[in-house]
Amino acid sequence: MTTDTEFQITDEMKAQIGVESEPWEYEVTTTSVRMYARGIASEDPIHYDVDFAKSQGFRSIVAPLGYVGTPVYLPGKTDPTFGFPRREGGPRLNIPFKGLLDGGTETEYFDVICAGDVLVETSHLADLKLRDRPGGKMLFVTNEAVYTNKATGKVVAKMRLTSIHM
Amino acid sequence: MAEQTHFEDVKEGQELPEITITPDKQQLVKFAAGSGDFNPLHFDENFPMLKPMGLTENIVHGRFKYAQVGRAVFALAGYKGRVKNFGVSYRGMDLLNKTITVKGVITARRQEGGENLVDVDVWAEDADGKKTTPGTATVALPSRG
Repeated sequence: MTTDTEFQITDEMKAQIGVESEPWEYEVTTTSVRMYARGIASEDPIHYDVDFAKSQGFRSIVAPLGYVGTPVYLPGKTDPTFGFPRREGGPRLNIPFKGLLDGGTETEYFDVICAGDVLVETSHLADLKLRDRPGGKMLFVTNEAVYTNKATGKVVAKMRLTSIHM
Repeated sequence: MAEQTHFEDVKEGQELPEITITPDKQQLVKFAAGSGDFNPLHFDENFPMLKPMGLTENIVHGRFKYAQVGRAVFALAGYKGRVKNFGVSYRGMDLLNKTITVKGVITARRQEGGENLVDVDVWAEDADGKKTTPGTATVALPSRG
């Protein structure tokens, strides 16, 4: 694990903040919503039963919180382990640290996400922070993904993901 | 889903109903399938990365814990309320087959922009009571009026 106490955030890295990735489609289907709901052990029928969800005023079954659809998987263009898109463009950071931790997740909702929605996601580097730790430094990298409903053009959610490199 | 909570029903300091889960390997495999995160760190006890970390058990996905916190927040909002935002920090690891409990407390209720908003501190803690996944959320609740 790198313990480079000399590491600093460069102007080149700061210049990557706000650089948008190319868009990628995320699908929200009845099957994917049910699978995610099973994955989190929810038994709430709002995530499983279309008729019930409609009786409660929703378009279809409701995506559990934290689920913003499944990125369309294209072999060679999608990470086979994590499932996220490997896109052209977007920020490129030359981070020297080898250790990586998930720092946090935050979602801001502007609408309910339901099965049948197709979301168009773009992401950008939102923030870089460097902190000291015993024996070295930690770089906090926050990316923000914006999800837009393809049919309505409305932004439905923004998700901020923070990774910790050390 | 329990009965709909209304804005008039809640007060500062009120605790949310707890959610308890002890994720076994099958549960984490289900989450891998649902989320698309197939990192073996979460389901393969022989994954080479575990040993250098001093671990003999798989680590629960951070996003699994985020979703558990989300279940508590969604339960507060109910079907007629709306979750405005919720976020967590991952401060500690939780391990396979160890109990995780989600707790929460209402920290504020306010009216803003025509909405009845409720702020909560909400977190997941491990079996020793350590808050491994602290967070906050804001939900808009319907009014009885």
